[in-house]
Amino acid sequence: MISVNNLTKKIGDVNALNGLNFSAQNGKITGLLGPNGAGKTTCLRTVFGLLKADSGNTEIDGIDVAKDPMQAKQQLGLFPDPCGLYERLTPREYVEFFAQLSGMSATDAKTATADVLSKLQMDDIADRRCQGFSQGQHMKTALAQAIVHKPTNIILDEPTRGLDVMSTRILRDLLLLLKEQGHCVLFSSHVMQEVAALCDHVVVMAKGKVVAEGSPESLCERTGKATLEEAFIELIGSDEGIAA
Amino acid sequence: MKLLTVLFKKEVLDAGRDKRSVMAGLYYAIGSPIIMCVLFSIMLKQFASPDELKITINNADAAPALVQYLDSKEIIHSTDDDVKAITLEISADYQDKMREGRSAQVTIIADKSDDKLRKSITELERALMRYNSEVASLRLLTRGIDPTVMQAVNVQLHDQATPESKGGMFLGIATLSIVLTLFYAAMNLAIDTSAGERERNSLALLLSHPLSSMQVVLAKSAAIAAFSMLGLAIILVVSKFAYALVPWQQLGFSVNIGFDFMLLCMVIGLPIALMSASLQVFVSFMAKSFKEAQTYVTMVLFVPMGLSMVTTYDIATEYVQWLPIAAQQHAMIEFIKGNALPWPQLFISTLVTLALFGLFSWLSSRMLKSEKVVFGL
Repeated sequence: MISVNNLTKKIGDVNALNGLNFSAQNGKITGLLGPNGAGKTTCLRTVFGLLKADSGNTEIDGIDVAKDPMQAKQQLGLFPDPCGLYERLTPREYVEFFAQLSGMSATDAKTATADVLSKLQMDDIADRRCQGFSQGQHMKTALAQAIVHKPTNIILDEPTRGLDVMSTRILRDLLLLLKEQGHCVLFSSHVMQEVAALCDHVVVMAKGKVVAEGSPESLCERTGKATLEEAFIELIGSDEGIAA
Repeated sequence: MKLLTVLFKKEVLDAGRDKRSVMAGLYYAIGSPIIMCVLFSIMLKQFASPDELKITINNADAAPALVQYLDSKEIIHSTDDDVKAITLEISADYQDKMREGRSAQVTIIADKSDDKLRKSITELERALMRYNSEVASLRLLTRGIDPTVMQAVNVQLHDQATPESKGGMFLGIATLSIVLTLFYAAMNLAIDTSAGERERNSLALLLSHPLSSMQVVLAKSAAIAAFSMLGLAIILVVSKFAYALVPWQQLGFSVNIGFDFMLLCMVIGLPIALMSASLQVFVSFMAKSFKEAQTYVTMVLFVPMGLSMVTTYDIATEYVQWLPIAAQQHAMIEFIKGNALPWPQLFISTLVTLALFGLFSWLSSRMLKSEKVVFGL
């Protein structure tokens, strides 16, 4: 479970987060939806402790990230944007390295890596260096890294960006599987179809604040619109920054 | 500790696959002793006296004894192409004056502002002076006077220089190139693993994991230091063979790089390698971009280079000898010369080196906690 309580954060002169409040439950996929510059990435970076909030706090499984970062991060899988690959390592080496950093022993990391690579159908590229990978291959490698140690909480920052249909389906199935297994999945996106198809709970944010939250259906109902896209535009009050 | 090993292994693997950066470091380690070797050979050729000094002697027939004396000192009259632009003019009345026991005039005609000639002119002047005193002694003898009355002070010089101690400057330059390896061999790797890692966005991901920034910094420094030590080992081996080819015998000393010297260099080099690695990581993180880091690291490396130069040209005062790098290089030089190692200086400077390693690592790890540094804001 991830909970974000009254976060404020100023970057330069901009109020990137302005009293942000929401929580993501275990066994549910929570989507963080917002236009460009809404503060999605800033919010996620604060959750995994890379940015310090000016006020408010974030908790992972009830542990305050700012107070006990080591403990809080133990049960956290992270898919950042940009994904930060080591171009000279192969996906197998890369995923194994991060598995060990997350506390797995060398042998456990090896088996877990082999598992996750075959689950993501990456066996053909597993031992090729990441240099020159396509966008989709980048994403898959980063995704493997995020889930290899089977953390309770998984955070993904724009995971569908640049994926082809096949990879998107793999990702979708994977997220649904993680949800079934009881993980807490939190991801940010501005692709409506993705969010509508996957999320149990949608948090719509704009200008560093939560504008509305609820299931995709309830958001449509509340705004009286037929699609989530229409509902979203209604909620944030402009059609700025909606990319498909 | 386990995390540190995992991080270290990844750093070494990642850096080792960066062939161009590794090679750039190795070029220095392999190339510099070879360049030094060529340089030393040329310098030694300049130092060594030429076999014969060829000059023009006018009116030589008038002074056969003088010409014969100069000939015995390897100063000869010649009309070859390589004759020096020095003319010795023997006056027309030379024979008459000599017969009468008076001063006969000889004139050296040469351009003293010409640096290349100056040594030869001095050589000719010395030879003429000695001839002067020889003839004068004979003249005194014929008049029944002991020639030693001309010598109020009998100057004797006992040269205590050993062959090795004579090679001081050469040793300085040789050890300078060895010490600098620890700073230059892994410079590109150091920048790549810090400023480069940030630019490729993997630093933020790394720091999002349950580990401390100190572990990240230490693993990076250790990996860079490992490559520096590899560079040091290579430069020592190449130096051993390259310096054996320099014709040291011309000056009567030699620079021998033995196995014991190599071992000493590795031992006193390790703390320097760690310090250099942590310094370069610190400076690279301080810079906002990869390019900026390259500029800053190059600039910062002038400091150790300066300390090393001070030792090389033996302008190290009492105080400088205690400073890191200067002291360690001084110890290397003393070891080759066969003198006792300056233990107190070596001990203190090694401690200071390690303290600096700690300080730079601490500063870097503190910087990695700042979001401004991690995201280059």
